[in-house]
Amino acid sequence: MRLKRLVGGVGCYGALGILTVCALLPTLWLMLSSFKTGDQIFAASGLIPKPFSFQGYADAFGQVHLERYLLNTAIYAGLGSLGAITTALLAAYPMARYRFPGRGALVASFSLALAIPVVGLATPEFFVVRKLGLFDTHIGFVVFYSALFFPLAFVILRAFLVSLPSELEEAAVVDGAGYFTIIRRIVVPLSRPALATAGVIVFVSIWNEFYFANLLSASSGTQNAQVALASFRSQFNFNVTAMLAGTTVIMIVPIAMFLFLQRQVIAGLTAGTTR
Amino acid sequence: MRWSVALSILPGSLLFLAFYVVPLGILLVTSLADWSGLGFHYLGLHNFTTIAHDPTFWTAARNTMLYVAAGVFIEVPLGVLAGIILAQHLRGWRVFRTILFVPFVISGAAYALVFAIFYDPSYGLLNSALGLVGLNHHHDWLFSTGTALPAVAGTFVFILGLVIVLVMAEIAAIPRELHEAAEMDGASMVQRQLRITLPLLRNVIGTIVLITILGYLALFDVVFILTKGGPSDATLTLTLYAYRAYVNNAWGYASAVGIVIVLVGLMLILLVRRLFRLGEPTL
Repeated sequence: MRLKRLVGGVGCYGALGILTVCALLPTLWLMLSSFKTGDQIFAASGLIPKPFSFQGYADAFGQVHLERYLLNTAIYAGLGSLGAITTALLAAYPMARYRFPGRGALVASFSLALAIPVVGLATPEFFVVRKLGLFDTHIGFVVFYSALFFPLAFVILRAFLVSLPSELEEAAVVDGAGYFTIIRRIVVPLSRPALATAGVIVFVSIWNEFYFANLLSASSGTQNAQVALASFRSQFNFNVTAMLAGTTVIMIVPIAMFLFLQRQVIAGLTAGTTR
Repeated sequence: MRWSVALSILPGSLLFLAFYVVPLGILLVTSLADWSGLGFHYLGLHNFTTIAHDPTFWTAARNTMLYVAAGVFIEVPLGVLAGIILAQHLRGWRVFRTILFVPFVISGAAYALVFAIFYDPSYGLLNSALGLVGLNHHHDWLFSTGTALPAVAGTFVFILGLVIVLVMAEIAAIPRELHEAAEMDGASMVQRQLRITLPLLRNVIGTIVLITILGYLALFDVVFILTKGGPSDATLTLTLYAYRAYVNNAWGYASAVGIVIVLVGLMLILLVRRLFRLGEPTL
């Protein structure tokens, strides 16, 4: 019995170990390599950089001006997630609380939208964005991303609001508080965990977005960091260290967010997909 | 009150109308037309017959299905296995869960660059490692027709985070008594996982398979950045096929391909819902 337990334990840790190596080794190696010089990289000289060099980071910011693209990315992710969360809360709250004609149809359409492979909509999205005068503009990306992630935020927030007791709101109605006052004073504070969850997930999704960022930008002024980096591969191929440094930088932000807000992210994914 | 509710729903509904409903409508209409941004000619189903007769489309369709299959038959089982192991709460399980989740939050573009370097024929880690054990170590994984597609699939089959988290949440909801009763009857650990846990995971595995299929049906970033669909279309996806049409100003044709992608997605959703009897209780 004891031997069996031991074998089982070794097997479990062995499996986890192999999966961990497969899942993380290439990424870890890239991050380590970002501290190598170009010569060290091309000589395929082991895992650990010696000496540590920060030339790649200096070039990524000094020559390629990664900070400009990072700023664009931060604007889109920050304001876009704010837009998606705000509109989703305003839509999800009445649908979780009141009965009105068309409610079922709206809930169904917003939820079904999650199942549409949006990349299939490339051409029409491009057309709509251009007709609205939003093509290749910062505000255009903010509006577009708010819309793109509205259904996801809606599903997460509605799942939470449905299970939220309504006594406090009813008491506020008796005290004469208006609809939007109740949302601002009661619903928003009580929904903080769900808002954080949806916020992180949408923020990271926009931060990582490539397809539409590529499709809806025409100039480097509006490109996000993902698109800029992908074009490094063709244009800046000679400066591999700068590319590795840039890649490390754009990966670090969502990884750090996840590590700090792990609980919210995991809770949100479970709520958003199984209900 | 009534006006407040209407006002409250309005902004989200407008966004949804402009960026989901209208584009879907445009997709339907323009898929039946020759549309380039300059002119618009109604063609009937012509775009669809052209698609059906284009061998490149079938290459893209086959590749896309292979990517989907890699997700469903490699990534999902690995994730379920890891989820079941982690749910035993062995020492250090939190650390493993965190580490295994990290690839899930890394962007497709960054991942593409990670693997561009990893697979590099002259200085990539994969070839260096193969060289150490005495194998051919100058293989160009991404630019040989035989290895390009598996190499692309290799970039994503170990992204297990979502599967693990969903599986663990479902296992946490299984009543403890079931396992205790089976243990009393002398069922071994492995037997209990196979006979009790796995059947109870049917619904969640079905959901995961759905998400995986929809995700890889829309696979774009990694392929676009790593190979642009090459060499000689060996890694081409349906989304990239549509993108090429779009870049060539064949917008109507691109819309028709978009319709095909959405329809394939819907069909696979229905299939998976039936196969896994999604929505029916597991207990």
